[in-house]
Amino acid sequence: MSESREIKKKKETKQKKFNLYEFHSNFADNIQLSYKGPFTNNILATLGNYIKYVFAENPKASKKLFGIFIELCQNISFYSAEKNHFYQQNNNSNSGIGTLVIAEYDDYYALSTGNIVKNIDVIPIIEKCELINSLDRQGLRKYKREQRNLPPGERGGAHIGLIQIALTSANPLDFEVTIIDDEYSFFAITVKVEK
Amino acid sequence: MENLYIKGSQDVFHVPSVKFDAQTGICEISGESYLEETVDFYEPLIYWLEDYIDETNGAITFNFKLSYFNTSSSRSILDILNLLKQYEENDGDVIVNWYLDLSDNDLKEEVEDFTIETDLKINLLPL
Repeated sequence: MSESREIKKKKETKQKKFNLYEFHSNFADNIQLSYKGPFTNNILATLGNYIKYVFAENPKASKKLFGIFIELCQNISFYSAEKNHFYQQNNNSNSGIGTLVIAEYDDYYALSTGNIVKNIDVIPIIEKCELINSLDRQGLRKYKREQRNLPPGERGGAHIGLIQIALTSANPLDFEVTIIDDEYSFFAITVKVEK
Repeated sequence: MENLYIKGSQDVFHVPSVKFDAQTGICEISGESYLEETVDFYEPLIYWLEDYIDETNGAITFNFKLSYFNTSSSRSILDILNLLKQYEENDGDVIVNWYLDLSDNDLKEEVEDFTIETDLKINLLPL
């Protein structure tokens, strides 16, 4: 009896093993691109070229998607709280880990990224996104000009990535925070680009 | 004074091409700008312009032919424009042109924002 239970338990463990087919087929057909892993410079370049190439038949949307991709994925590369330390140490270069998904709908593309952030950083990010969503286009442009005049960030940034994303998309930023534990949360953002 | 030439590339990063001519004062930056170390790239351009102004006091025609630049680059572009505006206010002869696909409304708006911010006239011209 106890033996068979053990066997059963083993079987269950086996079934819970990572199923690559399930993982593969869980992606809806409208997903054009998905990537999870470190956002190194080389990977950013490859994904960026892929985006330019795949959406080339719609140059306007392609340019917008590329611009939004660069800003969001550079943020992951620089600021994700989860990193590939081996790569970072050996290449002396950023390798923040995150997820990117580009999905296609009838009238628009949706570019989503997510990454782990420290809880202490969550509120400033949410406040920035909410402020951006509360402004109209002229307000956003004014806000961008003001922020660009501030001294550069620690990574030479211009503080205007999210503002530029909202301007390029011409849609509100759709963001969601999932609390993981006392220290970390997952920050996800989806940006629409009309076809 | 020497000319400043940088050959652009679109490898891992997008490095714009730079042609600053000390004899004619015609300065051009073209391509796409998305760099690993944005400030390190643009600083020599600013220094060259400062030296050109100090040494020659000559006219500058600055031709932007950038079709894409990320937000870090936009900050450095603003530094260049501020320098040109300052020169103009000190009676320097400055013309700034931005060559672009005139149907690219996003880029047009970005150039307009540079104009609003620097109060420097930027002519929009077809590529």
